[in-house]
Amino acid sequence: MNKIWILAKKDLRLLIRDKTGAFFTFGFPIMYALFFGMIFKNMGGGGPTTMEIIVVDQDQTQASQAFVHKLNESDSTRIVEKNLEEAVELVQKGKKPAYVLIREGYGEAAQNIFGGNPPAFEIGVDPSKRVQSMILEGVLMQHAADNFSRAFSDKDTMSKQIARSRERVTQSEDLNATERVIFSTFFAALDSFMQNAPSGNTTDGEMGGGFGSMTPAVITTKEITQQKTDTGNTFNITFPQSLVWGLMGCAATFGISLVVERVRGTLVRLRMSPISYAQILAGKGLACFICLIAVNGIMLVFGMLVFDLSPNNYPLLVLAILCSSVCFVGIMMLLSVLGKTEASAGGIGWAVLIVMAMLGGGMIPYMFLPDWIKTIASVSPVKWTVIAMEGAIFRGFTLGDMMLPCGVLLGIGVVCFALGARVFRWMES
Amino acid sequence: MAMLELTNLCKSFGDLRAVDDLSLTIETGEVFGLLGPNGAGKTTTIHMATGLLVPDSGTVVLNMQGSPADPEVRANIGVAPQALSLYEELTGQENLDFFGSLQGLSGKGLAQRVEASLEFVSLADRRKDLVKSYSGGMKRRLNIAVALIHEPRIVLLDEPTVGVDPQSRNAIFDNILELKAHGVTVVYTTHYMEEAEKLCDRVAIMDNGKILALDSLPGLINAHGGQSVVILEGPDGEKRIETDHPLDEIVKRKDQSDIASFRVERPDLERVFLNLTGRQLRD
Ligand SMILES: Nc1ncnc2c1ncn2[C@@H]1O[C@H](COP(=O)(O)OP(=O)(O)O)[C@@H](O)[C@H]1O
Ligand SMILES: [Mg+2]
Repeated sequence: MNKIWILAKKDLRLLIRDKTGAFFTFGFPIMYALFFGMIFKNMGGGGPTTMEIIVVDQDQTQASQAFVHKLNESDSTRIVEKNLEEAVELVQKGKKPAYVLIREGYGEAAQNIFGGNPPAFEIGVDPSKRVQSMILEGVLMQHAADNFSRAFSDKDTMSKQIARSRERVTQSEDLNATERVIFSTFFAALDSFMQNAPSGNTTDGEMGGGFGSMTPAVITTKEITQQKTDTGNTFNITFPQSLVWGLMGCAATFGISLVVERVRGTLVRLRMSPISYAQILAGKGLACFICLIAVNGIMLVFGMLVFDLSPNNYPLLVLAILCSSVCFVGIMMLLSVLGKTEASAGGIGWAVLIVMAMLGGGMIPYMFLPDWIKTIASVSPVKWTVIAMEGAIFRGFTLGDMMLPCGVLLGIGVVCFALGARVFRWMES
Repeated sequence: MAMLELTNLCKSFGDLRAVDDLSLTIETGEVFGLLGPNGAGKTTTIHMATGLLVPDSGTVVLNMQGSPADPEVRANIGVAPQALSLYEELTGQENLDFFGSLQGLSGKGLAQRVEASLEFVSLADRRKDLVKSYSGGMKRRLNIAVALIHEPRIVLLDEPTVGVDPQSRNAIFDNILELKAHGVTVVYTTHYMEEAEKLCDRVAIMDNGKILALDSLPGLINAHGGQSVVILEGPDGEKRIETDHPLDEIVKRKDQSDIASFRVERPDLERVFLNLTGRQLRD
């Protein structure tokens, strides 16, 4: 153990000594994390593709069932029916982006187009998937309008609704430039779709003005997270994914440093010293682990000081940090065998990390991925790290809830380390 | 007493036999030279002797204790690898501190050894500088110092003078003679025959993974060096006479007026190598 610590200390000293390396491990990840974390997070949805949503049909009338059926037929949504409790939990755990609640009385309201209340929906969304919720709103509106327009064939009402949504997007203060572009594009697409949609009665167009104040449906959106969480703080949401970039930076740096030891000949001297191979790799692993914890800690303090990050369960956050760190130590080991030279190891390493991030939903929204990739993605440590972090920060996970993501992270870590260590030794001989 | 015993070592890389059935016994306290051209298999042999490479067949016994694959046995060896193995971003002192700790040194003992090693290779005044700022010769010297940090009983120096300025080179020679004076066993690989001639008690001549001859310097020259050559220079140019008795040849011609000058070429390791392989050591 003493020897392992000596090895690790040397690596940490080298890391600090090497200004560029330290920057790429600490400074750069923070910048990278902040920048891309936000951009990628906000891209968690972004176009009209299939979205899996839960429908809670409390109305159970013919009208509500017909609506669900239609929703299911739509290309943009795939429906699972659940009761409200299950639905809330699934969204809370981040397993589904949103649920739609059809309250009792929908059937009645749907028929009362002229008088009374329009049909009402409640959408429960994961606050980290705001784009999906916007899309869902659009889809619901579209369907409701379909009903609506059966009487009036009023595309203009829909257009107005869309225009209003677009306006909301432009005015919304908590959206950044990227989000705005995404939303605007989406609504523009929806609008043009509406304009080109075949319609039985377009001459009624001018009547649109008269119905401008009427809405085909009232949609209330509710963010589903643990109640005491301040969901208004977007950094709570972007933090976990941001952190992943820091962890990946750290794994890449140390993975490359192992390649550097081999290329520059210091590994030869280490192996000629009276220490075992296992100790050499363990030393590197320990240094990487300490660095990962440091990156976590720095990001956390940074988030709390600068962004008012407010994790709602510190012990579980510590657990999440430990497990994801173990996982990324394993990934470091695996990265170290991917290239023969410093440059190739660096290049291949980052390529692998980026693919992992993509598979984990860190870049391309998870829901856009084909099913077979989603299956592969379930081994992406990025995905599980995000789940564990989110669980501790704002999803209100219990210890039991943490078992799955943490178990998977530890498993990935151990398997990757064992595999990497084996290949590393094999490459030596 | 045998310090290092290599028996029937073989090592191939793919189709290439880098070391071919090599057997060697290195005695305690001697300076042993392994002389051969680039690619002869010297480094591969050193790597097997230190447990870095596992031989395809054959055995290595170190200090009568067993195989250097065992870390404890390995603690007896100090190695200065041919490829410099130093952390360029650490200072000379930090490198020594680190590798010394790995050897199990600590506290005052470590500090003393670091000090002594730095003095030994005359780097004490540059101890606080990063290794990357060192000259080639200084790096080579530090590479040797690291090998000596734990006062090993046997030191393996793999081409320790490659890329070194003449001054550092002489300093390294002095170091080796000093080690020898302290009873340390030294294995020295080189492709410079002058170094082997100057430093080594016994020399093994190696080519293509095999040992072609092994003896003391006079022994090698007697057996494989051939005759001395007397070279006479006159108006007609040089005249070479091969002989076992150069002095007689010169005395015989002491009255000849057409000899402007003469010199005698004694057989050396270069000639030994030429006679053994038909090739020059350096081409
Ligand atoms: N890891 C390796 N893989 C393939 N070939 C190698 C390896 N190491 C050495 N060789 C080859 O083995 C032969 C002996 O090399 P080496 O022991 O380094 O010679 P020397 O040290 O005498 O110059 C050379 O032909 C070299 O190219
Ligand atoms: Mg060599």
